[in-house]
Amino acid sequence: MIKLIEKIEGEAKLNFNFKEGKIDFVDIEFMSTRNIENILRGKNAFDALVINPRVCGICGHAHLIATVQALESCYSNLKLSNKAKIIRELTLNFELIQNHFKWFYLTMLPLFGHKQEILKATYPSQLMGKAIAIFGGQYPHTSYAVVGGVVCEITEIDIIKLQHYMAETLKFVEENLVKTKSENFLTCEDADALLDYEGDLPDILRQIKKENLLEYGKSYDRFISFGHNSYFKKGKSLKAKITHNISVLHVKESEMPSSFAKNVSFKDKYYEVGPLARAMVNKTPLIADAHKKYGDSIFSRILARVCEISQLLQHSKELIKDLDLSEKSYIEPSIDISKLSSSGYSAVEAARGTLIHKVEIENGMIKNYEIITPTQWNLSGGTKDKHGVSQKAMIGLSDVKTAELVFKSFDVCSVCTTH
Amino acid sequence: MKNSSLFNKLSSRLDELSNLPKLDDEVSISKLIEEKGFSRREFMGWAGAMTSMLMLPASFTPLVAKAAELADRLPLVWLHMAECTGCSESLLRSATPSIDSLIFDYISLEYHETIMAAAGWQAEHNLEHAMEKYKGRYILMVEGGIPHAQSDYFLTIGAHGKTGEQSAREASENAAAIFAIGSCSSFGGVQAAYPNPTNATALSNVTNKPVINVPGCPPSESNIVGTLLHFILYGTLPALDVFNRPKWAYGLRIHDACERRGRFDAGEFVEQFGDEGAKEGYCLYKVGCKGPYTFNNCSKQKFNQGTSWPVQAGHGCMGCSEPDFWDKMGIVHEPLGDRLYHTVFGGLGADATADKIGVGILTVTAIGIAAHAAISLIKNPKE
Ligand code: SF4
Ligand code: SF4
Repeated sequence: MIKLIEKIEGEAKLNFNFKEGKIDFVDIEFMSTRNIENILRGKNAFDALVINPRVCGICGHAHLIATVQALESCYSNLKLSNKAKIIRELTLNFELIQNHFKWFYLTMLPLFGHKQEILKATYPSQLMGKAIAIFGGQYPHTSYAVVGGVVCEITEIDIIKLQHYMAETLKFVEENLVKTKSENFLTCEDADALLDYEGDLPDILRQIKKENLLEYGKSYDRFISFGHNSYFKKGKSLKAKITHNISVLHVKESEMPSSFAKNVSFKDKYYEVGPLARAMVNKTPLIADAHKKYGDSIFSRILARVCEISQLLQHSKELIKDLDLSEKSYIEPSIDISKLSSSGYSAVEAARGTLIHKVEIENGMIKNYEIITPTQWNLSGGTKDKHGVSQKAMIGLSDVKTAELVFKSFDVCSVCTTH
Repeated sequence: MKNSSLFNKLSSRLDELSNLPKLDDEVSISKLIEEKGFSRREFMGWAGAMTSMLMLPASFTPLVAKAAELADRLPLVWLHMAECTGCSESLLRSATPSIDSLIFDYISLEYHETIMAAAGWQAEHNLEHAMEKYKGRYILMVEGGIPHAQSDYFLTIGAHGKTGEQSAREASENAAAIFAIGSCSSFGGVQAAYPNPTNATALSNVTNKPVINVPGCPPSESNIVGTLLHFILYGTLPALDVFNRPKWAYGLRIHDACERRGRFDAGEFVEQFGDEGAKEGYCLYKVGCKGPYTFNNCSKQKFNQGTSWPVQAGHGCMGCSEPDFWDKMGIVHEPLGDRLYHTVFGGLGADATADKIGVGILTVTAIGIAAHAAISLIKNPKE
């Protein structure tokens, strides 16, 4: 049975094979591509800074940061101010936050039979969009990060505006998502205690428990996360055993015969990326508890994503305190790009998980560019003997509707995937 | 008087519209706006801003307010082609007070792949249903370029596996008005940049109906919503420029209304990001601003509910509302004049000239000449 899955910022085709009333295999197919990597070839390296955010209108900022970091890694002794680093990280946090709101209210709630609440999705994501625009000039599609720093020269007044947007967003969380002071939510270490709160998130989690959906969505219990910054750690988690010593060099892309999307593996194994993966690697107590009780199920996956909203808001508050406006925004690289022939890569945590960019430049021109997006990790289409992460999570379910829920719990983005 | 005859014309258009059935008898836009907690005053304030954006006199505000309330007489079909969904994103974040988004969300529920509730076969059915039921009446907005390569790379969408080109063409057939939203749909966009692997093209190349282009990458939410209001008010196509862009939004260059323009005229340029000039808000021409060659109203409307725009943040305009800007306006951090006009002023580029002549009116003339030459060059790229 073929089902078309939409509202994943595009669409994918899932071909379900049933055996004795249970899903036995799912073919995942993406039916379009734009071939951005090919467009990048032969262009001036800095042009990638404006082309790549257009890979995706949902996580364009992550693509900008991945691009700038990949290019910067081509230099041997490039300096960045702390201020530039913090600004880049703040805007990335805001992008993640706005994504999670939209995913929860536009995509997830309706799958649980609730009314789609467009305004609940747009209000906080508008606030975060404004917060990004303060630094970036507009959102989506900012270009304010350049090799050597950022171009914005923000002032104290901008910081006040920023704090206001963050406070409003936090207020929205406390009045809608989890109706409690965010300190309570942030310090809560017991996933079951969370169920006693009021709010849109506890409502859904209770529904999962009540309707016996707790076994749904389990996969390999294998997570990976490469993009590290002041909040996220790099590492992998295998049945809650964590290793931090991993290298991007073991990440491989391979073509799929039936789809325009490519598979991604680490040491030939498929891994899950995204908020749950990050929380596992970071050992976030609440999520670790949910994982201990309910495994890598939709319960933990949904909780991890929504919880990240509060964590990142909190962390961003701290980051702003470290911002020293008298520092330089930009430090000129010691060598002109047109004299540079080199290669490099970067890994950034986008809303949906690890995003990797690899670049090769010759005299300042792009010779080769490779983009590996988060959804490619989660949606790698494996074979019957070796399922991809989301494929495995759907196998054994008895109806297509639940499968769609499981599939979308990965916050799939087809735009990115079909770059 | 010119104004009063226009006023009467628009009023009778709105009267006509109000006789049409609503999308849903139970709900009306004014009720919806009220329910969401907006006072009449706030609503009128919003309408006032829209009126001035559409370059109508302030006395037209009640008409614009009425037009917004009548938006539910014109169903909207929004199609996604090859794109990044940035334009939809731009809208999903539209104004607070979110009167724009309220109106938009409400009327576009007939068919918008990202925000409507239906999916799959149901969605496709909805589309066909909407196109049939509102034949000749719906507004079509298309986001994204249309890939139409005779190659492996194309876009198949919908439960019946139609190509993007087919769907776009079919939906165009019976639309009351067709708007290409964003540079992708208007001109092909980023995927059409050299070597254009998917052979992506503009919507206007796959239909013979008139298409109004609302370019930008993304276009501001106000340009999208303004386009809609304009159509409701006038019922006809707006005045368009050579690239079929509405003149009310794309009539002036970024440069014409830029807040850094005074610096430009005074010959004060940012020489390098992060320098003293950057801190002082000097002109960004020398670090690659393409504002003198780009027609759009970003400097006035700004983005994210008027929060900011690229030049305000310190990055030059990159010309995103111009055709093929990906290939024609690079390199992003270098001035265009430098490469195009080595003949102007004794072999010096326009910015070098700016340096030599320094301040004052001469600079303006120098770059003015260069800019005009640039515009005509860019406009006829294939000649
Ligand atoms: S015009 Fe720009 S924002 Fe819109 S879809 Fe195309 S690339 Fe994205
Ligand atoms: S060149 Fe750019 S920054 Fe300078 S005045 Fe013109 S539009 Fe503004």
